[in-house]
Amino acid sequence: MPFKDSGQGLRTASSGFREFKSRMSNKQTPFVMLAVAVVVILIGPFLPPGLRSLVIEIMILCIFAMGYDILLGFTDQCSLGQSIFFGTGAYGVVLAISYLNANLWLALIIAVIASIVLAFLTGLIAVRLSEAYFVIITAIFFSIFYLLSLSMSWLTGGDDGISITVPSLSLGFTELSLYNPLVNYYFAFFFLIISYLILTRVVGSPLGKVFISIRENSERTKFLGYNVFRYKLIAFILAGLFAGLSGALYAIRLRYGSADFFSFDWSVLPIVWVLIGGTGTLIGPCIGVVIMSLFQYYVSAWWAQYLIIVGVLIIVILRVSPKGIVGYIRSRKGKVKEKG
Amino acid sequence: MKLLETAGLTKNFGGLVAVDEVNFAVEKGELKGIIGPNGAGKTTFFNLITGSLKPTRGKVSLNGEDISGLPPHLISRKGISRTFQITNIFPEMTVYESVWAGVNSRAKQPWNPFIHAGAATDISRKTKEICQMVGLDSKMGELSTNLSHGDQRVLEIAIALSTEPILLLLDEPTQGVSPKEIDTMISVVRKVSEVAAVVLIEHNMDIVLELSDNITVLENGRTVTEGSPSEISANREVQKIFLGIE
Ligand SMILES: Nc1ncnc2c1ncn2[C@@H]1O[C@H](COP(=O)(O)OP(=O)(O)OP(=O)(O)O)[C@@H](O)[C@H]1O
Ligand SMILES: [Mg+2]
Repeated sequence: MPFKDSGQGLRTASSGFREFKSRMSNKQTPFVMLAVAVVVILIGPFLPPGLRSLVIEIMILCIFAMGYDILLGFTDQCSLGQSIFFGTGAYGVVLAISYLNANLWLALIIAVIASIVLAFLTGLIAVRLSEAYFVIITAIFFSIFYLLSLSMSWLTGGDDGISITVPSLSLGFTELSLYNPLVNYYFAFFFLIISYLILTRVVGSPLGKVFISIRENSERTKFLGYNVFRYKLIAFILAGLFAGLSGALYAIRLRYGSADFFSFDWSVLPIVWVLIGGTGTLIGPCIGVVIMSLFQYYVSAWWAQYLIIVGVLIIVILRVSPKGIVGYIRSRKGKVKEKG
Repeated sequence: MKLLETAGLTKNFGGLVAVDEVNFAVEKGELKGIIGPNGAGKTTFFNLITGSLKPTRGKVSLNGEDISGLPPHLISRKGISRTFQITNIFPEMTVYESVWAGVNSRAKQPWNPFIHAGAATDISRKTKEICQMVGLDSKMGELSTNLSHGDQRVLEIAIALSTEPILLLLDEPTQGVSPKEIDTMISVVRKVSEVAAVVLIEHNMDIVLELSDNITVLENGRTVTEGSPSEISANREVQKIFLGIE
């Protein structure tokens, strides 16, 4: 043990010093999140049906976005293949229910496990490759899975998809029907909270810190004795898992799955969410989802080419703040503190 | 048994022989200097030892165990650590976080997703000790990118030290360091050499002569000579290479 304990000097050294610089949040964040959660819980019954359905969609996609942030925001891996896992999650549920007569929980577990396995297998190949090649191989994987989902219509139903009757939600003491929109609302909220808690935990753990080291300097991280490949693979699997869960919930909400779940939209959207909201923040990507979904909901109705506005919006946001909206808010706060 | 030993270590880049049949050894507790003109192959030599490059020929062994051709993370786990000639740190991480990352790599479960990173008190204690040892304890909360160049060079060493190496390879720690900060750097190298064997690549002759127990001179990838500081400074051939004295 070459390092001697010298307790004395340490105390002076650590005065006024926070061990880990908080990139994720500040002291108020838990309260803000709690407040948001309480509001979401309370307004559920009072939302008009259209808006409620939109909020459900947003909550489900936030799970997807936060998972993708682990990949792009925390380990700097820009995958173009996330629709693979979104689609796999969706079909996991749809096929488990329609062919195996699985109950809802079992169907969800099957969907998530299928996504994990697929993320592991594709990750084994993709994660090895460096940046540009990683993007290309994940794009190739996307194409393969999308084409397969279209051509294997005996299994997937192709473009038309497969409709399911969603089994009722068994809670042990009672059974709830997801055909009741309010049940659906709290069902999605439950998974959003669980996902958020798990991911904030991961991000604050040693694993999360290693992810950040890899993002900041993956070469140097190797020289610290970390098997960077393995850590990147873990991040890839985590992103796949939450994409799969999100896809599964999305399919339950729509009560069907189709090849559309594998389409390019679902590979590009995560990137957009994370970039406009702010990489490496978990909350930022959720804000990205809210913005994009509101756009899709309100603007697409009167102008089909709304994506042009979205494109311009993305460019403007990234011009003003390369770290997205949340990054911008944080840097403003930092400046105010320095002045005052 | 030698701590580190290379036997006939060779690296070709196409037609260029950057490292040419180098036999080199480091004893426990030793501080060994390597000098040589630009392009002599010093950095390449480090790259071969630490797994950044695979040798064309030859062998590297640590405590008698053949480690040639292992990937960098495994060589790090064997106990060899290095710094880089061109500062290679974690820009948007604080000093504390950078050192912590290295210390954590030796934890039982460095990948643990279930605990809070700050909860492992032995890791945070060791991190602070290292920061203190190199004199960065008052800057632990600062982002690495905001440090002065001299402090970044010191951090470079602190990061290398964080994995508790038995052998530390320092690639020109004083590169670009202001005269004012050079003394700090020298004392840091001295302190570090108390906890690990050190190989020091250094352009500044005065510093190498002052710090090293033993010096190897490289030119064109080959070992020209080897000896104690007084032998090296008296050597005619070395004077020719470095001072242009005929
Ligand atoms: N990856 C590489 N590919 C091709 N040639 C290389 C590579 N790395 C180094 N070289 C060449 O090998 C030779 C030795 O380079 P090296 O960086 O090891 O020298 P050095 O002794 O560290 O020099 P300096 O004092 O300038 O740092 C140089 O001619 C260099 O151009
Ligand atoms: Mg060099």
